[in-house]
Amino acid sequence: MSWVTAALRSSVGKKFVMGITGLFLCGFLVIHLAGNLLLYIGDGTVYNEYAHKLHSNPILLFVAEVILFAGFLIHIYLAIVTNRENRAARGVRYAVKKTKREDRTVNLFGWTPDTTMFASGAVILGFLVVHLSDFKFGDIVHGERIAGLEPADKARILMSDAIRAGIYLVGSIFVGIHVSHGFWSAFQSLGVNHPKYNDWIRKVGIAFAIIVAVGFGSFFVWGISGGEVDPAVEEAPVGSSSVLETAPPRPDQYTQK
Amino acid sequence: MPAHKQLNLTLRVWRQPDAGSRGEFRDYKLYSVSPEMSFLEMLDVLNEQLLEEGEEPVAFDHDCREGICGTCGVVINGQPHGPMQGTTTCQLHMRNFEDGDLIVIEPWRASAFPVVRDLVVNRSAFDRIIQAGGYVSVRTGQAPDGNAILVPSPDQAGAMDAAACIGCGACVAACKNASAMLFTAAKVSHLAQLPQGEPERKQRALQMIATHDEEGFGACTNTYECEAACPAEISVSHIARLNREYSKAMLTARQ
Ligand code: HEM
Ligand code: FES
Repeated sequence: MSWVTAALRSSVGKKFVMGITGLFLCGFLVIHLAGNLLLYIGDGTVYNEYAHKLHSNPILLFVAEVILFAGFLIHIYLAIVTNRENRAARGVRYAVKKTKREDRTVNLFGWTPDTTMFASGAVILGFLVVHLSDFKFGDIVHGERIAGLEPADKARILMSDAIRAGIYLVGSIFVGIHVSHGFWSAFQSLGVNHPKYNDWIRKVGIAFAIIVAVGFGSFFVWGISGGEVDPAVEEAPVGSSSVLETAPPRPDQYTQK
Repeated sequence: MPAHKQLNLTLRVWRQPDAGSRGEFRDYKLYSVSPEMSFLEMLDVLNEQLLEEGEEPVAFDHDCREGICGTCGVVINGQPHGPMQGTTTCQLHMRNFEDGDLIVIEPWRASAFPVVRDLVVNRSAFDRIIQAGGYVSVRTGQAPDGNAILVPSPDQAGAMDAAACIGCGACVAACKNASAMLFTAAKVSHLAQLPQGEPERKQRALQMIATHDEEGFGACTNTYECEAACPAEISVSHIARLNREYSKAMLTARQ
């Protein structure tokens, strides 16, 4: 076994890669959220411009997507492998199990973010399947053709469906829960633990989790309020122009760049 | 709490004649337990009662009974070493329980710690992790000059914090992944902070982790249950040092 394989197979090595890919995915979340928030500027043209610019260099986009997918795949692969090994390591389960930690603030009947990382990750994975089938490979969404539409309008139509918007809300919240432990946990896995920085890393992690959950979650409100076929929609937040008041839009209704 | 208070308890104890048998919980009533007793003394009383009744006494590990040897240790109502922080089972007292309590007593649960009998588990996996690198090589002969190698005071204190590990295995018992990372980290961190540990530093981290994994312990997921259950209150910051030691050794060791 070469030293690289030995390292990647070891418990510490796997956690190291888990931490690196996790932080890489956190970085992706920041960029993704910043891009999405452009939907709130004006009538969506800024967002459209950003989306078109992103797609204007297919080679660069392809490379970026391959790296991103690789990040996800490695992270998920290691999640499954370590989860299986960790369960096997216990063997016979306890009849009664109780924590000795009393400092956990987020605690729902004993479920805490740090002990449910695999579950929250699995929910995120489920959400990702819906998300990718909508925006990347989506063609027809609840009866409407969205392929070929301007990106902002695609988003508007998709998110106008309460159930769909609800799925996105759940996805956002679970990503927030996942990174609320994952962010600082990654630092520990990478060996960064020092009284000078620990407090900061924790605080940044919590702030990041809230920003991610609220930031992505806000599109739930945007979607269901912007999607209403109702004149009151004019008062809705900026960006939610009333596309859906009329019949399903045709691509040529919009100014193409 | 008045000293004359006595406890009547129901003990639900894991009974398993040997490693190969299935094992099961059995309930025992114990009356008039003094709150001054330690948990192990309470088990002694139970065993006397069992002997009188002609039943096999409950096997449990113990030696010093003063919290320094790391031999004792059972899971009490789901908590390794019971409800107190920084306390071994032998130092836990019955005053922490209430009259009428049901107390569930289980052995450490880990594939790497097979049950030998009842509450006794085989912890020789820890010995093999230590044998893999938890030592420094010294020459035999005359006792060396104690001041020949200078150790800065903060380093000495940091090393001693890690050296406080008594190897009881509560970290493994508490961890949801049955990981022995806190135990392994304590030894690696102890010796990594001392000049005497320098020559074998890289091999130590690599070989101890390799043995840890071979023995079937899980990986760390930073839930920090180990730290909370540790009677010696070893900090998880030692696990971070182990992670650093391991990655440095992986990248730079010559082989
Ligand atoms: C936006 C997507 C995601 C982000 C930003 C993210 C981020 C992170 C981070 C930062 C960590 C901490 C790594 C460490 O402790 O060293 C982590 C751990 C983990 N992630 Fe993710 N992750 C994502 C998606 C997923 C998915 C889809 C799964 C699928 C099952 C998953 C499962 C896990 C598991 C099992 C762990 C280890 C848990 C633990 O150490 O307790 N994650 N993640
Ligand atoms: S018997 Fe020695 S620590 Fe409990």
